Amino acid sequence: MRTSGIFWVLKALLSHYWRHPWQTLFLAVGLIAGVALWSAVQIINQHAENSYRQAQSLLGAQAHYWIRNRRDQGIDPSTYIKLRRDGFRQLFPLVELEVSTAAGESVSIIATDLLALPDNLLGNDQSTRDFGATWLEFVQPPYRAWVPRVLARELGLARGDQLELRDGRRLPPAMVQARVQQGRRVLMDIGAAFALSGSERFSYLAVGRIEPHAFRRLAASLPDHLELIENQQHLDLRELTQSLHSHLSAMSLLSFAVGLFIVFNAVRFSLWYRRATLLDLRLMGCDSRVMLVAILFETLAWSLLGTALGFAVGVVLAQLLLPGLGASLQSLYDAIVETELGLSPWTLFQAWCLSLIGLIWALAWPLYRQLRRSSLEAARVEVLLADESGARRRMALAAVGLALLAAIAYPRIETATQGFVVLGLLLFAAAWSLPALLAAALRLLAWLLPAHSLLTRWMVSDGWSQLPAFRSAMMALLLALTANLGVGTLVDSFRSAFVGWLEVRQSADIYLRAPNVSYEQLLGLADNGSWLADSHYHIGVSTRWRERPTLVRGVDTRAPDSLVLPLSSWRGESAAAALAIWREQAGKVLVNEQVHFLAGVEVGDEVELKTERGLRHYEVVGVFYDYGNPYFQFYLPGRVVASHWSHYYSRGVALWLNKNNPRAMQQAEASLKALGAQPGDWISQTQVRRLSVAVFDRTFAITAAMNLLTMMVAAIALLASLLAILQERLPQFAQWRALGLRQSEQLLLVATPLLIFCTVVWLLAIPLGALLSWILIDKLNVISFGWSMPLLWEITPALQLALVVGLICVSTLLLVAFQWRRQMPLALAQLGETV
Amino acid sequence: MRVLIAVFFALAASAIQAQDMLGDLRDQGLGFAQVTPGRSLQFPRDHGAHPDYRVEWWYLTANLEDSEGGQWGMQWTLFRQALSPRQAQAGWQSNQVWMAHAAITTPDGHFFEQRFARGGIDQAGVSRVAQDGHFNAWMDDWEWRSNSAALFPAKLKFSVGEREIVLLLEGTGELVANGIDGYSQKSAQGQASYYYSQPHIRVRGFVSQGLEKTYLSGKGWLDREWSSQELAENQQGWDWFALHLDDGHKLMVYQLRHADGEHWLSGNWIDPQGSARLLDRDSIVLSSTRSGNIETGDERSRKLPMEWKLALVEQDRSWRIRPLYDQQWMATRIPYWEGVVLIEDEQGAPSGVGYMELTGYQ
Repeated sequence: MRTSGIFWVLKALLSHYWRHPWQTLFLAVGLIAGVALWSAVQIINQHAENSYRQAQSLLGAQAHYWIRNRRDQGIDPSTYIKLRRDGFRQLFPLVELEVSTAAGESVSIIATDLLALPDNLLGNDQSTRDFGATWLEFVQPPYRAWVPRVLARELGLARGDQLELRDGRRLPPAMVQARVQQGRRVLMDIGAAFALSGSERFSYLAVGRIEPHAFRRLAASLPDHLELIENQQHLDLRELTQSLHSHLSAMSLLSFAVGLFIVFNAVRFSLWYRRATLLDLRLMGCDSRVMLVAILFETLAWSLLGTALGFAVGVVLAQLLLPGLGASLQSLYDAIVETELGLSPWTLFQAWCLSLIGLIWALAWPLYRQLRRSSLEAARVEVLLADESGARRRMALAAVGLALLAAIAYPRIETATQGFVVLGLLLFAAAWSLPALLAAALRLLAWLLPAHSLLTRWMVSDGWSQLPAFRSAMMALLLALTANLGVGTLVDSFRSAFVGWLEVRQSADIYLRAPNVSYEQLLGLADNGSWLADSHYHIGVSTRWRERPTLVRGVDTRAPDSLVLPLSSWRGESAAAALAIWREQAGKVLVNEQVHFLAGVEVGDEVELKTERGLRHYEVVGVFYDYGNPYFQFYLPGRVVASHWSHYYSRGVALWLNKNNPRAMQQAEASLKALGAQPGDWISQTQVRRLSVAVFDRTFAITAAMNLLTMMVAAIALLASLLAILQERLPQFAQWRALGLRQSEQLLLVATPLLIFCTVVWLLAIPLGALLSWILIDKLNVISFGWSMPLLWEITPALQLALVVGLICVSTLLLVAFQWRRQMPLALAQLGETV
Repeated sequence: MRVLIAVFFALAASAIQAQDMLGDLRDQGLGFAQVTPGRSLQFPRDHGAHPDYRVEWWYLTANLEDSEGGQWGMQWTLFRQALSPRQAQAGWQSNQVWMAHAAITTPDGHFFEQRFARGGIDQAGVSRVAQDGHFNAWMDDWEWRSNSAALFPAKLKFSVGEREIVLLLEGTGELVANGIDGYSQKSAQGQASYYYSQPHIRVRGFVSQGLEKTYLSGKGWLDREWSSQELAENQQGWDWFALHLDDGHKLMVYQLRHADGEHWLSGNWIDPQGSARLLDRDSIVLSSTRSGNIETGDERSRKLPMEWKLALVEQDRSWRIRPLYDQQWMATRIPYWEGVVLIEDEQGAPSGVGYMELTGYQ
């Protein structure tokens, strides 16, 4: 009996949705869009997380340790063969190369010997599936280059194509397929990589699963110049990329919130229409508990629908966003993210929970409140209007509370998550204060307008009746605009700081990294020509400091780029003075901003570094900007590094060309070739800057995409509201029409409050956006990445957004006008009937 | 005979469908060096690799006993495969690939291991005898190292899982050329290989696992074979036997199974003095007397002929051949059955030990 009762109540409640398909559509769109944006990011985050977890294996084989040359000069194959013949079958060789295509794209190559992989291709089912019939071609000339599908698409490669490189060489014929953990790299046989690089040395060896006794024997068997390093990448990556992923999560939550506002909007509309239904049901003696259950059913149904469709759209979105993000993770963190998306049921479940919670808040709760009203009271319009005014007041008060909470919490922010919580508080404070502000704007306008301009006054005061309908949409718009402006300003500030920094840091004309070319040789050759103006030979030591990967770099303190190293804070009067102290006094060190912000090291502090001669203490005299680097970095004079770490390795040479020699570049390249450097071993300033900026832009592409999508969701919210107004007030408009009001005047009547509201929202978004970007730059970026930069605020993005908002308004108005035209005749015909 | 395994190795590894695989097996090995009659075997040259031929192996089996009379068996095989007929190159551009199988039959069960390595980089190979004057065949730390350019005496060191095996091998008789002076025909259509054996090997050594060490001794059999093209159109697989008879005779017999039941049978009857007599189809009678269900590890079992009756017409002798136990399956990349067999004479008296290999059973 009860079950059938619920069924009929549910049927009565749901009938609303097919009577108002537009509103149903908007509710669905809001929910789906919110869930889609949120789950797209979650899918990507989860996928990246899975990839990090797999960082203990490489190309499907376990890699618990690496064997590297302490001087970064690679490993001779004969050393490897000797180790294999000593029984270390856990070892497999790897070559990594970076090449530039003829089109100027940078492509990473990884090469291995398939037959040496511990779970090797012929013994392992997965590998067999991976390689199928192609392994015979893979391991012998002319070889094959395995290109992941996404990368092949980007490079325009089809099966059999041979990618042309900058210097005219070609990769082996392409196969569009990938092995696990290949990421965005091209996989080929080691023989192919040797032929390509012209050098027969491995980059490093990987060590698969190894028993403790074998490990001890291996450690003892290694020649001095090789070292055994534990593969901690799965831990490092998780820590290093955590901030990036929380940034993305925060943006996705914002998108979800914006989507939820549409749901709110649609529900508000449905309440208006369903109050009569609810009243009828109550008057017919329907048990309020049965109605409550029906409401919960409705909520559940929507959550299932929204999650299913939203998740499906999210998967598509994630697939679109993943390649760019994967590329960034690879270039910034050396994180290999699988190019083919993996999905987890857990993410789907989370999406469902989120949408259910959102719907309980936006749908079930308002319905329940409506239900609990005394039956007759609920039906009166005045009550609803009074409700609105009460709701505005309550929201304004809540907004003040949230803002206060944010202000109190702000100085206490220590982690990125806390930062985002404060940001959330602020954004919601702004959103909730909006209805009150919009009402205030209406009041102000009414007060400002001259008493005789009746039509204008009418238009403005009609805003009062539109305000409830627009409330949620305006909040959504405010959030979208603020996020857009705030994140936009952050990206612009970052880009400007980054490009400026690149200009100073990458002032050399050529960067050379060739293991087979010695610095002394190079200088000797340069002496004979007139192409070289200056040079900077870097050395470095990779180590760990405070449990994070760290680079101690030995620099030439008198090189052109060291003299003007951009510092963010320093000891003494000026940056130049601090650099002079670092140059001239012993025991001084420069640290990067990551050390300063993430490890809390201040100028004047002493840092302790583990050297081969024991612990050494250095005083920090300056902090240098180090954008894009996730690791800790210390700068010491080259001779100090060379004397304290015997196993330092070359980090390359920067060469400044003689400006007075017009043929300097050609002479330099000829000299480098003469010394045995391969064309891929050096890169010009233009290329290195272009690549750096490309990495930067790619990193923020996902941000731009999320911003755009959120704006679209906000636009849908506006359209939904306008259509709701049209539906709600059509009878009224018909009356006015009958009284002689023209359609254009009626449209103006609707448009004026809309424009007023949008203007208020836009005006409010400008300072809010600036505040958001300031918090992002001042707190979150610093906490998350250890990168500081000046805030660069400009009015242009705000003006562009004004234009966008204007366009959204005009297009939605046009749509509404069209609907209006269609529906007005019927509304006119129905005049006089009961509303 | 075992040339087929290596061909299977290359082709099955390519995961080519069965139809194509047979097609490839039956191609003429164009571009590779061809096996022709009249080429005389030369030693130590022919102990080394023949990279111009498509496939080749060094195949050792041994029937051993521990101090308590327990029956053991060992198999150690190194296969070479040329992936293409072009000139073999040294280094990472090499077209040679190596595969090694090792198996041990113990009183507690049968264990095996397989390995792969590319050629040209010294991770695996058979040294040119001229290099240091010693015969040396190896893959990673598995190694057969002889004291001289000859195959014996030698030390063989390998492992199967955690079992380390060290064997001293000593040749006690002459090498035996199979077929006609080492030209071993495999079908009426002309398929053939170069094939010689050393059936007289005295084996001593031990198996160690952790602190446990078991000393073993017994008899070994080495097969050396190389070819470029083998299987005839209608050949499905083969059954091969290498038997040490207690009276000092050695017997090698194989049958290539034909779809029409007209199998290709061949073999060698070697007397204790080492002189060999070629056995042809008409002089061998081979039939299966019991089939067994073998757990092959791929979630199914296969029915294989486990017990055989073998008779030699001219010698007027017959034997019953049965495995030490049925489960001696090699679940390697190309799976097959290979293991210790016991021999009984007509009266049912034990009269020898040996190794049996069964392939091509689905």
